[in-house]
Amino acid sequence: MSVFGGDSWGREAQYRKRRVDDLIIEGIDGCGYKKLPNGKLVCLLCPHHPVLDTPLMLSQMHVKGSRHRAAESEQKERELSRQYQINKRIALADSSSTAVSSTSSEVRCGSTKKPLIEQVHKAASEILAGESPQCSTLDKSDKSPDVRSDICYYKKENQSIAKSNATEVVAAPEVAFQQQLDYKNRRERELKLISAGWKRDAHARWFKDENVEFDSDEEDPNVYLGQ
Amino acid sequence: MFLYSLTLQRATGMVCAINGSFSGGKSQEIVVARGKILDLLRPDDNGKLQTLLSVEIFGVIRSLAQFRLTGAQKDYIVVGSDSGRVVILEYNKEKNYFDKIHQETFGKSGCRRIVPGQYLAIDPKGRAAMIGACEKQKLVYVLNRDTATRLTISSPLEAHKSHTITYSICGVDCGFDNPIFAAIELDYSEADQDPTGVAASEAQKHLTFYELDLGLNHVSRKWSDQVDNGANMLVTVPGGGDGPSGVLVCAENFVIYKNQGHPDVRAVIPRRADLPAERGVLIVSAAMHKQKSMFFFLLQTEYGDIFKVTLDHDNDRVKELKIKYFDTIPVTSSLCVLKSGFLFAASEFGNHALYQFQAIGDDPDVEASSATLMETEEGFQPVFFQPRKLKNLVRIDQVESLMPIMDMKVINLFEEETPQIFSLCGRGPRSTLRILRPGLAISEMAVSQLPGVPSAVWTVKKNVNDEFDAYIVVSFANATLVLSIGETVEEVSDSGFLDTTPSLAVSLIGDDSLMQVHPSGIRHIREDGRINEWRTPGKRTIAKVGSNRLQVVIALNGGELIYFEVDMTGQLMEVEKHEMSGDVACLDIAPVPEGRQRSRFLAVGSYDNTIRILSLDPDDCMQILSLQSVSSPPESLLFLEVQASFGGEDGADHPANLFLNAGLQNGVLFRTVVDMVTGQVSDARSRFLGLRAPKLFSITVRGRRAMLCLSSRPWLGYIHQGHFLLTPLSYETLEYAASFSSDQCAEGVVAVAGDALRVFTIERLGETFNETAIPLRYTPRKFVVQPKRKSLIIIESDQGAFTAEEREASKKECFDAAGIGENGNAEQMENGGEDEENNDPLSDEQYGYPKAESERWVSCIRVLDPRTTQTTCLLELQDNEAAFSICTVNFHDKEYGTLLAVGTAKGLQYWPKRSFDAGYIHIYRFKEDGKVLELLHKTQVEGIPLALCQFQGRLLAGIGSVLRLYDLGKRRLLRKCENKLFPNTITSIHTYRDRIYVGDIQESFHYCKYRRDENQLYIFADDTVPRWLTAATHVDFDTMAGADKFGNLYFVRLPQDVSDEIEEDPTGGKIKWEQGKLNGAPNKVEEIIQFHVGDVVTCLQKASLIPGGGEGLVYGTVMGSVGALLPFTSRDDVDFFSHLEMHLRQEHPPLCGRDHMAYRSAYFPVKDVIDGDLCEQFPTLPVDMQRKIADELDRTPAEILKKLEEIRNKII
Repeated sequence: MSVFGGDSWGREAQYRKRRVDDLIIEGIDGCGYKKLPNGKLVCLLCPHHPVLDTPLMLSQMHVKGSRHRAAESEQKERELSRQYQINKRIALADSSSTAVSSTSSEVRCGSTKKPLIEQVHKAASEILAGESPQCSTLDKSDKSPDVRSDICYYKKENQSIAKSNATEVVAAPEVAFQQQLDYKNRRERELKLISAGWKRDAHARWFKDENVEFDSDEEDPNVYLGQ
Repeated sequence: MFLYSLTLQRATGMVCAINGSFSGGKSQEIVVARGKILDLLRPDDNGKLQTLLSVEIFGVIRSLAQFRLTGAQKDYIVVGSDSGRVVILEYNKEKNYFDKIHQETFGKSGCRRIVPGQYLAIDPKGRAAMIGACEKQKLVYVLNRDTATRLTISSPLEAHKSHTITYSICGVDCGFDNPIFAAIELDYSEADQDPTGVAASEAQKHLTFYELDLGLNHVSRKWSDQVDNGANMLVTVPGGGDGPSGVLVCAENFVIYKNQGHPDVRAVIPRRADLPAERGVLIVSAAMHKQKSMFFFLLQTEYGDIFKVTLDHDNDRVKELKIKYFDTIPVTSSLCVLKSGFLFAASEFGNHALYQFQAIGDDPDVEASSATLMETEEGFQPVFFQPRKLKNLVRIDQVESLMPIMDMKVINLFEEETPQIFSLCGRGPRSTLRILRPGLAISEMAVSQLPGVPSAVWTVKKNVNDEFDAYIVVSFANATLVLSIGETVEEVSDSGFLDTTPSLAVSLIGDDSLMQVHPSGIRHIREDGRINEWRTPGKRTIAKVGSNRLQVVIALNGGELIYFEVDMTGQLMEVEKHEMSGDVACLDIAPVPEGRQRSRFLAVGSYDNTIRILSLDPDDCMQILSLQSVSSPPESLLFLEVQASFGGEDGADHPANLFLNAGLQNGVLFRTVVDMVTGQVSDARSRFLGLRAPKLFSITVRGRRAMLCLSSRPWLGYIHQGHFLLTPLSYETLEYAASFSSDQCAEGVVAVAGDALRVFTIERLGETFNETAIPLRYTPRKFVVQPKRKSLIIIESDQGAFTAEEREASKKECFDAAGIGENGNAEQMENGGEDEENNDPLSDEQYGYPKAESERWVSCIRVLDPRTTQTTCLLELQDNEAAFSICTVNFHDKEYGTLLAVGTAKGLQYWPKRSFDAGYIHIYRFKEDGKVLELLHKTQVEGIPLALCQFQGRLLAGIGSVLRLYDLGKRRLLRKCENKLFPNTITSIHTYRDRIYVGDIQESFHYCKYRRDENQLYIFADDTVPRWLTAATHVDFDTMAGADKFGNLYFVRLPQDVSDEIEEDPTGGKIKWEQGKLNGAPNKVEEIIQFHVGDVVTCLQKASLIPGGGEGLVYGTVMGSVGALLPFTSRDDVDFFSHLEMHLRQEHPPLCGRDHMAYRSAYFPVKDVIDGDLCEQFPTLPVDMQRKIADELDRTPAEILKKLEEIRNKII
C-alpha cells in the first residue's frame, strides 16, 4: 500500500481483494461457514469447527479435504434422514384425525399404502376403539400384517408361559385390550425384576444373580408369575 | 461460555498478623494476611476494630514482618509471598493505600520447597531482614537509608545450607553488634543416604546462629547447638541493654532459653490436668511485649492456654525462666500485643477477638520455673493447672470469621425476597451454622406500639447547632403525635405543633424555628413560641412539600408550586408561584451548599414520567433547567450531596457531586448526576430495588449524608472506602423513616412500620452479608435441607474428643474436686446477679474440648429448625463411629416416604496409615413431622461411604472405589448392582435422568449410566486431568463444575456429538465402553472453564442470589470467603471486560509482585473467566490512569464504573 497517503491505490486494492474474496466464497454453501468478527472464517460442517484465516483457504484447501468431505456427506445424510422423519410425521399427522373420527372398514382398507408406522397407529386406535384384534379375525383381512403377527406373538408367549386357556383370552375385545396393557406391565415387571437382580436362564426361568442381595422373604418370580 | 468471577465475601480467616505503627506516630495498627488479602486494621476509640484498608494481592501471603529503621517513627511491612520476591510496603496515610517501596526478585514463583518466602525474620534494630525457605535457602537483605532518608535495600546475601530443613527463624537482639539470625534446622543429608533408616531416626535438630558481618558484607554460620527434636518455634529475647539477648526455643513440653556461650535454661510448660499422657504441649503462637523497665512473652499452646514467660536475668546471665498461666482464649495463628493495652488474637478458626489487658498476670497462679524443674527417671516432672475464666484479659470486640466453610447451600428457606446462604463453619467446639443474608446488619434499639397506624415520622432539632434531636413527630391519618426525646421518649403537647391534623412535613427552618406543613397550610413555630400560620388560598390543599433549612416549596393540588424562603428576620416569605402542567408527584430541594444563602435546584417529578429541575435563583426563578424522562412516574425524590474528598482514611479522591435520586413507581431507583452549575443531568443509572416504589430519605452514616430507600425492603446508599454502595438492610418492610440522634444512639434511624415505631442503628458498614450464627457441637461435615419441612439435617464429627456425656461427667468431677458448684462457687452465688458466663465457667467455645486419644471419634446427627434455631433432634453416634456423608432418599414403592441415609466409619485413623474398623450406612426415618429421626437399620459395608445420592428410587453409594446401587430391604440395604472400576475413592455423586456423575478424590469426574435391562452401571466418559476433587456440582446434562484442592475451579463438558451418540446408541455406548481408551472410559470430557481461585473451594452450588437474577455458581472456601461466577450474556460484555482486565493487568500489577495472569493460571491456564476482583480495582486507580484506560477502551471512566456496578448488581 502507498505510504505517501492521498489518493492511494491501497484502498482500491483492498476493495478488490474483498470482492475477490466474496467471489471465491460464493461457490460454497452459505450455511456451511460463518464469518467471525475478526474476519476469519469458521467451517460449521466439520465437528471441530476449524478456523480458517482466508476465504481462499476455506474454498481451495479445506473444502476439498477428506475430513470436510466426510463431514459434508454425513451432514447430507443426516439432513435426508431428518427429511424422511418429517415426511413420516406429516403423513401420520394427517391420517390420525381420520382414524380417530372413523372406524369404518372402508377407510382402513384404503390406508394400506400409508407408511408402516401409520398401520401400527391404526391398529392401536382400532383396539382402543373396541375392535377385536384377535388373530383369527385379523387373519381374515389382508391389512396390517405386522401388527397382526406381533399380537399373535404376544399371545403365544402368553400361552406358553402362563399356560392359560387360549379360548378365554381371545374371548372379547376388552380382554384383548387388557392384553396390550398386560404386555406393557409385563415388560415393566420384567425390567423391575432385572434391576432387582434377577436373571433369566435358557428356559426363561428366573434365577438370582449371585452378586446381588435379596430380602429373605422376597418372592420367587417363577412362582408368582407362573400362576 | 464466559464467566465473570467476583468475590462476594472476602476471606475472613487470618493466616498471620503483625502489629506496629504503620501510619507513623503513636497510632497502633494491625496488618493481617488473609491468604490473598492484606488488611490494615485499627482499634478505634470505642475499642472496635475498623478495617482501614483491604487489598487483594493476587498471590499467597506466606509470612509478614514489620521493621523500623533506627530512630524512625514508622514501621514498614515486609511480605513473604509465593511471588519469588520480597516486597517492602509502606502505608500511605494520606491516600490510604500500601506503597510498594521495594520489590526484589530472588527466585521462581509459586510455593516451592527451596524458594524463600515461607519464613521472615527481622533484625530487632531494623538493619537487616532474612527470608527463608522450608529447605536450604536463606537470603539476607541489608536495610539502610540513603541521604534523603529513603529506605534502601542491598542485594541478597546467601546463607544457604543444602540438605537442611528449616523449622523457624528469628532475629537475635544483640544491640548494635553485627545482626544475628537464629534458625532451627535439621540436616537430613545422612538420613537421605542411609537406606536402613537408622540415620533418619537419629537425626537431630540444631539451633544455628547466622551472623551478618556488616563490614565484610557477608553472612556466616556463627554457632550451632543441639536442641530438642520437638523444637518448633523461636522467639527473640530483648538484648543490647534491655535484656539478656538470645532466643527462646519453644519445644514440645518445654521452653528453653538459649544463647551462645550460655547454658540452657529450661522450664516445663504446665499441662492441663485432663490431658492424656500421650499428648505433648506445643507452642503455636507467641508475642513479646517490651517496656522500658521490663519485658515478657505471651506464648499460646495448641490447646489455647496462654502463658506469660518472664526471664529473671542479671545483665547477660539468665538465672530463671518462669512460665505462668495467664489466661485461655481460642487457639490463634498470631498474637499481637499493642502498646495501647490491647491484645489482638487472630484465631485459627472462628471469630477473631480483641482483648483488653486488665492485668499483666502479676497475681499468683500456677507457675513452672527453671529453678524448680525436677528430673526423675521417667523424665521431667510435669506441672499441672486447671484452666479458669479470663482474669487478665477482657474481650471487647470480635471480628467475624467464617473460616473454614465446610458446606454451604443457597436456598430461600424463609421465603424472603432474596435467598439465604446456609453455611457450616468452624471447627470443633467453635463450629457454627451461619445463615448469611445479603445486606447490612442492623441492631434494633427500641420498638414501641403506637395508638394507630402512622403514615410518616420525622425528627427535628430545636436549634441548628444542637447535637441531638428534640422531637419525634409522627403523623397519622387525621392527627399528629409529638414525642420529646430525653432520658425517655414521651408524648408532649406544648411543642406548638398542630395535633389535630395530619402532617406533610416537619423540619427545622432557619436557625431555631420549627415548621409543620399540613394539608391546609404551613405552621411556623418561632423559638420564643410565637406561631405564624400560612393558609392555602381557597379550598386547595397542599399535596407535596420539599424543603431544606432555608427554602420551602409546596405543591398544591392541581399542580401549583409556591416557593417560600426564610428571610433575614427568620420569617418565612412567599417568593414565587409557578403553575405546573399537571399534578406534582413529588418534589425535593437540594441541600443549601456550604456558605450559600440558598440552593439553586428544585426537582419536581410529574405523573407524565418526567423529572424537571427548576431554578430557585432570584434571576431565573422557576425556570426549567433540565428535564429527564423516566420509565415510570416518580414517587419520591432526593438530592444527595457528596462532599469533596481528598483521600484520607475512608475515601478516595472525588470532587463534590450532587446526585438526584428518584424512586419510581415500578420499584426502580433512578440516579443521575446534576451539574452543580448548569443543573444539567447526566450519567443516569437505575436499579430495581423491590416491588414497591422506593421512598427516599436522607440520613447520616458515619458523619456523612447517606440515603435510605424504603421499597419492599430497606436499602442504604452510602459511601464506603471511596465507593458508593447501595446495599439492602436485613430488616422488615418499613413505611417511612427519619434519621435519629440522641445521646444513647448517635446515628440511628427511626422508622414506622405497621403500627409500631422502631429505632435502629446500622452496623458493620461495607460488609456484603450479615450473619446469624447457631452454635454446633462438633466440626460440621455436611448437611441436607428438607425444603418441605424447612429443616436442616447436619452431620458433625470430631476426632480425639469425648462425647457430651463423658464431658459432662468429667466436668462435674472436676468441679467437685475444685469445690465449686456447677453454677460457680458458693461465694459468687451469694453475690448474685453474675452474668451468664459465670453459669458455665468453662465454656467449650472458649476453652476447647478436653482432648481424648486420637483414635476416638465423636459424631452426631442433628435436625435443626433454622427459623427458631432450635435443634429438634440430636443423635450421638456410639461406638467410635463418625458420620461423613448424608442424603435424603425416597425408595420407590416402599411405605416409609422420605428416609435419611448417613454414611459412617468406625474407628477411622489417618496416621500412620489410613485404616478403619468398619463402614456403615444408617437409614433413618422421620417421625413427628420430620422433627425426630428414628433408626430403621444400619448396613455394614466394606469401605467408608463418602458419597450418597438418590437415584431412580434407590440409593447410590460411593464406598471406597466402588459405586454401588442399594435397595431398601427389611433389615438392611440390599446390594443390587455395582461398578468397581473407579480409580481411588468416590467423593461425590450427582444424578440427572439416567446419568450418574461420579467425582473421584483424585481423578476428577466420571460420567456413568445405569442400564435397567441389564442391571449394570458403566462409565462412558471421564476426564483426562487428574484433579483432586474437593467440591462438585451438576451444571447441565453434559456439564459438571468442580474444584480441586489446589484452589482451581473448572467446568468439564461432554462434547455435544459424543453426548448425542451416547443417547442415541441403543446399547448406550456399551460396546465402546468395553473397548475403553487410555486406560479409561472411551469418551473424554473437555475442559471448558478454568480459573485459579487461590483458596480451597469446599462447596459449589448453582444458584441465584437476587430475585429474578440469572443463575451463577456460588462457592465457599476454606478461608471463609464466598464468591460467585456469573455467565456473561453478551459477547460485547466479554470483549469489554477482557480488555479492561488486560489493561488493569498491565497498568496496575498486583501489590506483592505476583503476575496476575500467572496467578490465575497457577496450575492450568485460565480459560474463559474474567477476574472481577481485578476489574473492581479500577476505581482505586489514580484518576489519570483511569482516564488512560478508559480512553483505550473508547469509553469514559464513569461508563466503566457503571459497567462494573451493573455486573455486580446482576450477581448480588
